Amino acid sequence: MSLQTASVTGGTSSETMLKLKQFMSNRGAVLGLVIVMTLIVVALFAPMIAPYDPQMMGAGRRLQPPSFAYPFGTDEFGRDLYSRVIYGSRLTLLIAAIAVGIALAVGLTIGLIGGYAGGWTERVVMRLVDVVFSFTETLIALAAVAILGPSLKNAMIAVGIATMPFYARICYSTVLVEKNKPYFEATVAAGAGHARILFLHLLPNILPTMVVVATLGVSTAILAAAGLSFLGLGAQPPSPEWGWMLSAGRDYFSRAPWMMIVPGVAIAITVLGFNLLGDGVREILDPRQTNRR
Amino acid sequence: MFRYLTHRIGTALLTVWITTIAVAMLIHIVPGDPVQIMYAQSQGTTPEQLEEIRTRLGLNEPIWVQYGMFVSRIVQGDFGQTIRGNQPVLDLLIGRLPNTLLLASVSLVIAALVGVVFGFFAAYKRGTAVDTGLMITALIGVSMPHFWLGLILLFVFAVNLAWLPVAGEDWRSLVLPAITLGVANAGIIARLTRSSMIDILNQDFVRTARAKGLHKGTILYRHVLMAGLIPVVTMLGLQFTYMLGGAIVVENVFAWNGIGRLAIQAIFQRDYPLIQGFILIFACLVVTVSLIMDLLYAVLDPRVRLS
Repeated sequence: MSLQTASVTGGTSSETMLKLKQFMSNRGAVLGLVIVMTLIVVALFAPMIAPYDPQMMGAGRRLQPPSFAYPFGTDEFGRDLYSRVIYGSRLTLLIAAIAVGIALAVGLTIGLIGGYAGGWTERVVMRLVDVVFSFTETLIALAAVAILGPSLKNAMIAVGIATMPFYARICYSTVLVEKNKPYFEATVAAGAGHARILFLHLLPNILPTMVVVATLGVSTAILAAAGLSFLGLGAQPPSPEWGWMLSAGRDYFSRAPWMMIVPGVAIAITVLGFNLLGDGVREILDPRQTNRR
Repeated sequence: MFRYLTHRIGTALLTVWITTIAVAMLIHIVPGDPVQIMYAQSQGTTPEQLEEIRTRLGLNEPIWVQYGMFVSRIVQGDFGQTIRGNQPVLDLLIGRLPNTLLLASVSLVIAALVGVVFGFFAAYKRGTAVDTGLMITALIGVSMPHFWLGLILLFVFAVNLAWLPVAGEDWRSLVLPAITLGVANAGIIARLTRSSMIDILNQDFVRTARAKGLHKGTILYRHVLMAGLIPVVTMLGLQFTYMLGGAIVVENVFAWNGIGRLAIQAIFQRDYPLIQGFILIFACLVVTVSLIMDLLYAVLDPRVRLS
């Protein structure tokens, strides 16, 4: 498709249109977008969608199988699982936003400093990033939770720290590319100060790429945080966090398998949505990938 | 080659050194008084006793003296005693290590086999329903939380069907955790294999081979598969470190007695010496694995070997 469309349109604003078209022609990416948008809507309107208070014990009888009144059944306290999963979407999105936000903010700062400063600062900073990167995310996250103590807030911080090197590395290489562009040399030649170059020139040029890159990291963050909650190191009861709900459900598996299946499916669909969306975004960022079909 | 070697080994040593600093400082970053937290459970500890513990652990010394003491202890193989049960930390960790390595290795083999077969067939049948089906399966595999897959397998095959034990130490108890961890990571390998194979299939030498009239099977297996596997094999080292990380969670699902299970217990019990030992051992393990993989790769790939 690309050649014809490109010759008809062309120019920078229609380049965006072209990318948009490319994205919309990727069925997987569109499905991902739909899943993510649905999730956001569900999270925003949770009180209107959920039939019960997610914490209300005895909303139904204990361990009820899925039925018309309780679409996903009830848990060991008679809480409505459907309502809990709906409210859990808020936590999942919050975790994703905060963990990715921390990783992005710290990674961006480190990458920006490392790439801009050059010399010894660059070497030391980027070597440190490599060190953190070389440990697995799980180890870093566990170490962070071990220090901070188990809680949902700390799990988000832990996941943010653990995934930071990914963002730092991409930001660093983006800065290196920007540094070679004419506008950068012009700014330096015009005698702009460090702060001006960093915040008024480099940052606005890097930010769009980094925000797009962040969509690739969301699914990792969600899975990691759910894993911590599952281990009991993240969200604490009675939180309707999906990872924790799943963990609570395992004691009742034989009598109430839905308690464990429902939150697991919720996590899987959410992560699938972000993965599909991320794949679509990656395809646009790296045109080499598109020719592989 | 020599420069690459020294550089790579230097990086590994630097990583371990930074880890020792981080681990030694861990006890100071912990909010609150670690000694009080650790010994809060044992009722009736007097302030004098706490002060004595602090002196014994060297917590009253200046920080750099503490770090020196820490490193000299570690070098002598003394990782301290656990708070619970007063066992030597190093012995405990070394005792559990083989279980974790076994789980990660078997999982890696499963992930590589499943991933390569899926990826290869998807590439061979690219653009068809088979390709789409295989890649959707791989994507679902990547998106599933593996502790969830583990629990489902556990309840179906161990609890309900009773084909395999729920927990234990023999090979039969290894089957489910290894499948869980393997399948969870097979998706990534499948996707990488597919794109690598498609790259190769589009290359000139494959067309030449076809034009020469070589048998289709010969082309596929000798030329495409072998060439396409190079990036996959490179990726396996990184995958192994992921497996070690994933093992921490999976061990807890299946009560598999590896260091991951020990670590989670240690975090819950705030057993700081054990946590410190775990981080240090695990970090060394990851560093060693990636060093070995990189060196192996350097030996195999002439572009690195000759540079």
